[in-house]
Amino acid sequence: MPFAVESIWVFWPALQGFWFSLTRWDGMSPPTFVGTDNYVELAGDATFRGALLNTVIWLVLFGGLSVLGGFGMALVLQKERRGVGFYRAALFTPVVFSLVVTALVWRVFYQPDGIADTLLRAVGLEHLIRPWLADPQTALYAVILPALWRQIGYVMVLFLAGLKAIDPALHEAARMDGANSWQRLRHVTIPQLKGVNAVVLSVIVIDSLRSFDIVWSLTKGGPYHSSELLSTYMYSTAFQSLRLGYASAIAVVIFVLALAVILGYLVRAFREEA
Amino acid sequence: MSDFDPGRRRFLGHLGLAGLGALGASSFLSACASSASGPTTGKGSGAVTIQSNLSSPQAKEAMEKLIANFNAQGKGSASLNTIASETFRTQLPTYLTSANPPDLYTWYAGSVANDYASKNLLLDVSDVWKSMGDYPQSLRTLSTEASGKQIFMPMNNYWWGFFYRKSNFAKWGVQEPKTWTEFLALCETLKSKGVPPIGIGLGDTPWVASAWFDYLNIRINGAPFHRELLAGKQRFDDPKVKAVFTRWREALPYFDPKGKAYPFQEATTALLAGKTGMFLIGTFFADAAPKDALGDLDFFRFPIIDPAVPLAEEAPTDGFFASAKTANPAGTKALLTYLSGVEAQEAYVKASSGIVLPANPKAKASDSPLVVKGKAMLDEAKELTQFFNRDSSDALQPTADTALTKFLDKPDQIDAILREWQAGAEKVFKG
Repeated sequence: MPFAVESIWVFWPALQGFWFSLTRWDGMSPPTFVGTDNYVELAGDATFRGALLNTVIWLVLFGGLSVLGGFGMALVLQKERRGVGFYRAALFTPVVFSLVVTALVWRVFYQPDGIADTLLRAVGLEHLIRPWLADPQTALYAVILPALWRQIGYVMVLFLAGLKAIDPALHEAARMDGANSWQRLRHVTIPQLKGVNAVVLSVIVIDSLRSFDIVWSLTKGGPYHSSELLSTYMYSTAFQSLRLGYASAIAVVIFVLALAVILGYLVRAFREEA
Repeated sequence: MSDFDPGRRRFLGHLGLAGLGALGASSFLSACASSASGPTTGKGSGAVTIQSNLSSPQAKEAMEKLIANFNAQGKGSASLNTIASETFRTQLPTYLTSANPPDLYTWYAGSVANDYASKNLLLDVSDVWKSMGDYPQSLRTLSTEASGKQIFMPMNNYWWGFFYRKSNFAKWGVQEPKTWTEFLALCETLKSKGVPPIGIGLGDTPWVASAWFDYLNIRINGAPFHRELLAGKQRFDDPKVKAVFTRWREALPYFDPKGKAYPFQEATTALLAGKTGMFLIGTFFADAAPKDALGDLDFFRFPIIDPAVPLAEEAPTDGFFASAKTANPAGTKALLTYLSGVEAQEAYVKASSGIVLPANPKAKASDSPLVVKGKAMLDEAKELTQFFNRDSSDALQPTADTALTKFLDKPDQIDAILREWQAGAEKVFKG
């Protein structure tokens, strides 16, 4: 029964999405079958290549830095001491905000003569000032920052839960054997977090590939596609250009990418266990 | 067209629901495909439903008043559904193609309406036009689709122009320019006084740049060429289009460099605060202006470049069209007839804060000097254009946004930009 519900809700639309990627469709007239035309066009589409590259940059920077940042913060804040709850809460607060609200806050931060510019002026770096979200050199990174600001808190909570689950006796034993704190981290903490790592990786990959709202609310993928991700390109192709067949082809690519990364990791993880 | 809207959150809700981003996205796309499940509305001779994108507080109130008046007259009943404008824009095709669509919609005249008409989605409202004999021919033509039926009922229009503060122009000792040469001289004077002469707001509202393209094109190549270009009958990499950008380049040094980063609302604030000299924008910008600044505002028409080209102005026309599948065509037409009348049009103009001109020539517009001047400018024009997206399609607008913002950043790459624009436009026309 759950499988039947799942099929109707998830697999059937997914299959339909794949079917649409083989058609030309404006959302109004009936779709016409065009074979692999959409995929051929994707291969030669410079905007798509740019969006793909940006998505990879996003995956590496957003994914990598939120794991490093979240893990670092979890290590720092794992010990119960006075006031640590406040810091944890402060880091987690951005997760509570809707990303669209986050975007509004950061837009104020980036606006001309806004907080970012004022800060740079205060430390004598005014030559670095630029229209952060409107400059193709900086737009993508200016959007990654707010996304990270939010994700680090989230990843931290996942790691904190993992760290709490480690038996303190393991650390005790390692300390008895004369392991320093670095060795304990390397040989006790990290191997013990294996289960959490799989969760974090899946979350990061999925969150990266579906990152949409923050980019759309800050730059809409612009200026001239310089901060375009696959998700924003798919949206604008579908709902602005009304090329739903082509947009479905992009959606299929996103799906294959997500599947490949996650399956790749899972296969490796299982092999190590066997 | 500018602010974020809750509809997008709903889209993301879909993503979350299906768990996997891509999977969710494709399921969303297919959700539109099985478009049988549209919004359900009253059947038969019940109330006429109006789907309205006029979501700003004053406009919404004005509409509510109109509908209340109509219901009080006892010729039929109507109910109003106000929807955030960005949601409305993305959902409109879904409304129109659903099995049981709402009856009446606020939307734009021109090729955006004709496009739906060509797919047989719009109700023939020629009957309504029979009682609209006073309306000027230009509006009638604008509301007529290819086969000669009227499918649109214009409510009002507005104009674009270079807006400025009278007190600031007096302080700087400058006058309105008439020609392109005078315009550039004015820019030079303002620049020498340390004021960025031309304000613009492209962050989040990149479509504002299209006004520059439209105006330069209708001033240099004329409105007929402009319409053909936007309909895909001319090419964007044509030397005539390049001439537009060559002119534009002469004015580029005078643009406010901060304009790339903020939306037109903030560009309005900058203009009112005297941080920019003038701003090419539609009258809707005044919605964001404080009341006390309104009296100090004035505008001049986009300067003449080639006096041989017949004078054309941008006058985007807003109004209504109805679904071909309406269950209550008689009631819908009765409502349209009411809305086209002098009383309704005057009531709407009075209640809405915006600077708009009623479409009915007998209806009195506001008598503020600004509106009188705007009306005179449009009356003098030989041709009226709508705006880039309204003369082409919403689908073509993003290609213009990309090309124009890139040109403003990298004017020396114009040939490559126009080639890319043509390629992008061809994809849109191909569908």
